[in-house]
Amino acid sequence: MMASRSVEITILSAENLQMNKRAIRGNAFVTVKSDASSNTSATRVDSEGGSYPSWNEKVVMDVPFHARFITVEVKCKTSSTGSNSVGVARIPVSDFIGGYVPDNQLHFLSYRLWDGKVRRNGVVNISVRVKVAEHHSNSTPLPPPVTGVPLPSHPSTGLVTGIPALWLNYQTNSSF
Amino acid sequence: MSATLEYKENTCESSGTISCKEILGVLQRMGGCFSDMQGGKQAVGGLREAETHTRNNNGTQNDAVDLFYKSQGFQQLFTQVELSLSASNLLDRDIASKSDPMVVVFAKTIDGKLEELGRTEVIMNCLNPEWIEKISVAFHFEIVQPLEFHVYDIDTKYHSVPTKTLKLRDQEFLGMACCTLSEIVTKPRRSLTLRLQNKSGNGGSRNLGAITVNAEETVASRSAVEMVLRCSHLDNKDVFSKSDPFLRISRIAESGGYIPICKTEVINDNLNPKWKPVYLSANKFGSKDNPLVIECFDFNSSGDHVLIGKLQKSVADLEKLYKERTGVNFFIPSTRHRQDKVLKGQLFVDQYCEKEQFSFIDYISSGFELNFMVAVDFTASNGDPQRSDSLHYIDPYGRLNSYQKAIMEVGEVIQFYDSDRQFPAWGFGGNIPGGTVSHCFNLNGSSGASEVVGIEGIMDAYASALRSVTLSGPTLFGPVINMAAQIAAQSLTSHSNTKYYVLLIITDGVVTDLQETINAIVKASDLPLSILIVGVGGADFTSMEVLDADNGRRLESSSDRVATRDIVQFVPMREVQSGQISVVQALLEELPQQFLSFMRSRDIKPLPSTSTMPQSY
Repeated sequence: MMASRSVEITILSAENLQMNKRAIRGNAFVTVKSDASSNTSATRVDSEGGSYPSWNEKVVMDVPFHARFITVEVKCKTSSTGSNSVGVARIPVSDFIGGYVPDNQLHFLSYRLWDGKVRRNGVVNISVRVKVAEHHSNSTPLPPPVTGVPLPSHPSTGLVTGIPALWLNYQTNSSF
Repeated sequence: MSATLEYKENTCESSGTISCKEILGVLQRMGGCFSDMQGGKQAVGGLREAETHTRNNNGTQNDAVDLFYKSQGFQQLFTQVELSLSASNLLDRDIASKSDPMVVVFAKTIDGKLEELGRTEVIMNCLNPEWIEKISVAFHFEIVQPLEFHVYDIDTKYHSVPTKTLKLRDQEFLGMACCTLSEIVTKPRRSLTLRLQNKSGNGGSRNLGAITVNAEETVASRSAVEMVLRCSHLDNKDVFSKSDPFLRISRIAESGGYIPICKTEVINDNLNPKWKPVYLSANKFGSKDNPLVIECFDFNSSGDHVLIGKLQKSVADLEKLYKERTGVNFFIPSTRHRQDKVLKGQLFVDQYCEKEQFSFIDYISSGFELNFMVAVDFTASNGDPQRSDSLHYIDPYGRLNSYQKAIMEVGEVIQFYDSDRQFPAWGFGGNIPGGTVSHCFNLNGSSGASEVVGIEGIMDAYASALRSVTLSGPTLFGPVINMAAQIAAQSLTSHSNTKYYVLLIITDGVVTDLQETINAIVKASDLPLSILIVGVGGADFTSMEVLDADNGRRLESSSDRVATRDIVQFVPMREVQSGQISVVQALLEELPQQFLSFMRSRDIKPLPSTSTMPQSY
């Protein structure tokens, strides 16, 4: 089995979608996949929103640890089987994993779409939550490292006594 | 125990100019002193009159502006709060009986003058009075609003005189207390008890008693309904194209007329329009069973809109339409025939949801906090701090330089919302002891914690950093913003979402790498963080305006990520210095909305009230 984590992606909406410089009439849907797996998920077709469609549809994906991008593509349904690509956004996995935001937090993210001729298109809005395995979330979170300001080891500007205030904050809060 | 009911609402006629104020009542507790009250009758009976009086006298709330915001469907940037007052252990000045106390509430202006906001009624023979008359005051987040409460013993011979005409110098002074409005609203249950003092500012050895001030927001209800409305088969009213329809929703006034409460946008050239969600607060529509009149008009730029059709439905009816997914026909009132003409055009409710809308004060008084952080520019363009023309020059006579002014103006407002007053303070673009340029160093010189205590702590750390750090460059905001973002991100788990951060960056020049700054801002735009940037000195800041997405353009990072929301406000300090109204206030004015937009987007609610919380004394 490939090592992966479960990521909950909610395709919220898109704004100002165009095709050939004209606002699309409707029938937009979204596909989602990661660069490290061939599985693709798709939303339903929005028939009401025109060039400002909304889906609010949740997609749960297993994102392999070595994946670097999630690709979100907005398409426009043209017939029962056919569709045209409206625009693509490549979302770095690092935007919601491994950054300064703790895991299991909800991210609201928006991305610029680019069409096949590398022209700027509208914006797609999504929310992402990385699911953390149970045993992780139950244990008390480790106090985050007191992120030092990059100060060089300069000759002392005076002795610092006492406990850093940041640390005290974490202590008081863990008692909640 | 007796109670009166008061309900207040500003509404407008379609012209948008006439305001009608309905006062029906607010539930009020009446204390034990009520029974023996003679002269106090007047004040209670005169509630309606006094209410109007205090609002007009106060002058801080502009009815026209209020109406404008309401008619536009915006939440106004200030809220009206009502102060309820009670006192305990007042001095007994009367010989034969107990004191007959009354409170006068003043607002202290910037130049130290006292402006009267209102008076309570007189309560007879009572040393522990609970006044019924409320004092109305507009809460402005962006300024410090000092209040004074003066308690007087009203001589019996004045008891038939209306309280507002009483000459205060004829009355016996029982004591006074001061606080700021933000001190009250940040307290649990928005209640603050203050010891009374004499006018010289000290209580002396004598106990003058205490006064308790309770602040209540004047909102009748927090619930609201959001609906998506759509029409089909509307009549065509235009000759060369199709109708340009919009909807107007009105409440039926008790007098019989319509009071418009909401209007949709106009959709051009469309007989099957679907409008953006409309948001109706219960304050506007009253009860769910109140009939509302929904009119569909063809927009005409002359202002003479043509009625396409109308219908009458309550919010409860609209909810039913949504659930049954059915439409309802418009009709057109007929003058000739008795019966209205039913039209083919129909109204549909595509979405319906009820929401509870909490205010900024709801969050703050339940324990949410604003945490202040500050970052100061140490680039060389500020000029040698030793020289008096430097932006960093510290005046030996105490005149504040632009950096100090900005820290003071923003800090003195926000400190009330930060209970521990531990403020992270950084510098950037300076050559720190040891010989390297840092773009995020602690102002206090410590290699560990960046926090200093209070606004004075920031001032001291700033002054000491100026002595040890050499000004250098370039100007980069990224490291400071990332540091602030990191702290805000950590709070998401460790503080159960009750903290919101405000980073103040003060700079004298344009950032060297704008894209680096934009990337950092976009990355932080999903966090409980707002960034205020104040530009000082004479540099041309036009390129900085890009950071402030007020024109509606969202910031975009170099990796195609688009900012989730606007978190940056930018203002040049020279605007701050000119004119009466500080631009720093304009900066701060938007903070409550930014705070609310974050909390609402994540469906974070105020903390449940903690009944065990001790009252602060």
